[in-house]
Amino acid sequence: MARISMDRVCLTFQVRHHQRVTFKEYVVKRMFRRSVNPYVKVNALQDFTLEINSGERLGVIGHNGAGKSTLLKVLAGIYPPTSGKLEVKGAISSLFDIALGFEPDATGWENICFRGFLQGETPRTIKSKMQPISDFSELGDFLNAPVRYYSAGMRLRLAFAIATAIDPEILLVDEVLSVGDMAFTEKAGIRMREMMDKAQLIVMVSHDLKSIERLCHRVVWMDHGQIRQVGRPGEVIDAYKGWANQVAHGLAA
Amino acid sequence: MVAYLQGIWRCRYFWLMLVRNDLRQRYRRSLLGLGWSLLQPVAMTCIICFVFHAVLNPDADVAEYGGSVLAGLACWNYILTSTIQGCQCIYLGESYIRQYPAPMAIYPLRTALAGTFHFLIAMAMVMVLSWCITGFGNLLVLPSIVASLAILFVVTWSLAILAGFANVFFQDTQHLCEVGFQIMFYMTPIIYPESLLRANNLSWLADWNPVRALVDLVRQPILEGRMPTPSTWVIATLTAAFLASAASLTLARLQKRLIFSL
Repeated sequence: MARISMDRVCLTFQVRHHQRVTFKEYVVKRMFRRSVNPYVKVNALQDFTLEINSGERLGVIGHNGAGKSTLLKVLAGIYPPTSGKLEVKGAISSLFDIALGFEPDATGWENICFRGFLQGETPRTIKSKMQPISDFSELGDFLNAPVRYYSAGMRLRLAFAIATAIDPEILLVDEVLSVGDMAFTEKAGIRMREMMDKAQLIVMVSHDLKSIERLCHRVVWMDHGQIRQVGRPGEVIDAYKGWANQVAHGLAA
Repeated sequence: MVAYLQGIWRCRYFWLMLVRNDLRQRYRRSLLGLGWSLLQPVAMTCIICFVFHAVLNPDADVAEYGGSVLAGLACWNYILTSTIQGCQCIYLGESYIRQYPAPMAIYPLRTALAGTFHFLIAMAMVMVLSWCITGFGNLLVLPSIVASLAILFVVTWSLAILAGFANVFFQDTQHLCEVGFQIMFYMTPIIYPESLLRANNLSWLADWNPVRALVDLVRQPILEGRMPTPSTWVIATLTAAFLASAASLTLARLQKRLIFSL
């Protein structure tokens, strides 16, 4: 049974003003005076408490920078929580940043293997999925060419086809419904719905409020790394829309 | 620890394919193919023999001196390239790190395995040349090379982990490594015999130099037909254990925080 439990989870980023330091700078500044390149703390998630159970589809909405994508990365295990307790039971498949992580000099076929192996496939299991992935991506002979020659849309098609070729227990989705051209977007939408039907638990981040309302059982409205409201999709989305209207007219606090 | 190693094993198809891809990309469309990785140490050995043989080791014949230099350079290049290329290993895997929470040690492993492949080819060449020139030595000591290779592999993987992590936090890591290794090269009996150090009251440099011990692990059985000395085993094993501990500690302390610095 898939399940996600977050108890007062906080995530604080420590970023430097000027990217990386040199070892020389680190040693000298520590020895003689305070660093001129100090850490700046950014609270990406604050006291996040939420339970998501098997069978649930949770939508996450909020303004840009509210912490929606960060939340997904914490759930996927990419960002470790700074404090609090996070429990995730079930095999996770994540659909975010899917256009990243191609080996540019390897062919499309080889990249299917790279991605597949990283998603837990074996040479035997990936073999049976190669042709369906190829068919779905509609890239045909391009799969024999190195990925460096692919357009951004072609890369996205391939990435989406690979990422959705598995049957996950927990599915984390971040704005991937607009994939490629119009025909492919429709096809991707159908594939997503199929995948959602199979997954036991889904957390979906999107600015497409209609999709969220149609697909999700429960919605979380995030604001500055905190839960502002959680509840039934209609209620939360209406509240969010009201707030957004007020912001647009300069009335919100 | 065991769970972590199991995690690495679970991703084996992924990192093995990365290594295969790296090697193929390196030799694709090249005239000499794998020969390129042999050309550099062979050319260097020829030049060093030509220029330094009479100065540094006049007592040995050229074949003996050349074999020693070639084996030394192969071993040295293995350690050097694993560290220098290891500096970039985390950045090379950054796009994967941002998507999948796989064990971070697989990215340095990719560098160390590619280095191991080149080292094995170079060592095979050293063995063949050595046997052609001086005949088969003591074959009974050859199994010790397996243990030597295991120690060297632990050393190079650990160095790649340490260099990769350090380079994420300090941008001058690669430069500092290059300077450090340059100094180390001249302090290690690779192009000159160990006896030269001892004759000049620098025995301590030979005795306590961990790279000397690592080089001798393969040089002594192949070229001299004898088992590495107990002190060589001890220093090499301690070096591997120390570096492996430092790498494990680094992984345990920094692996989860690394993503914030990428």
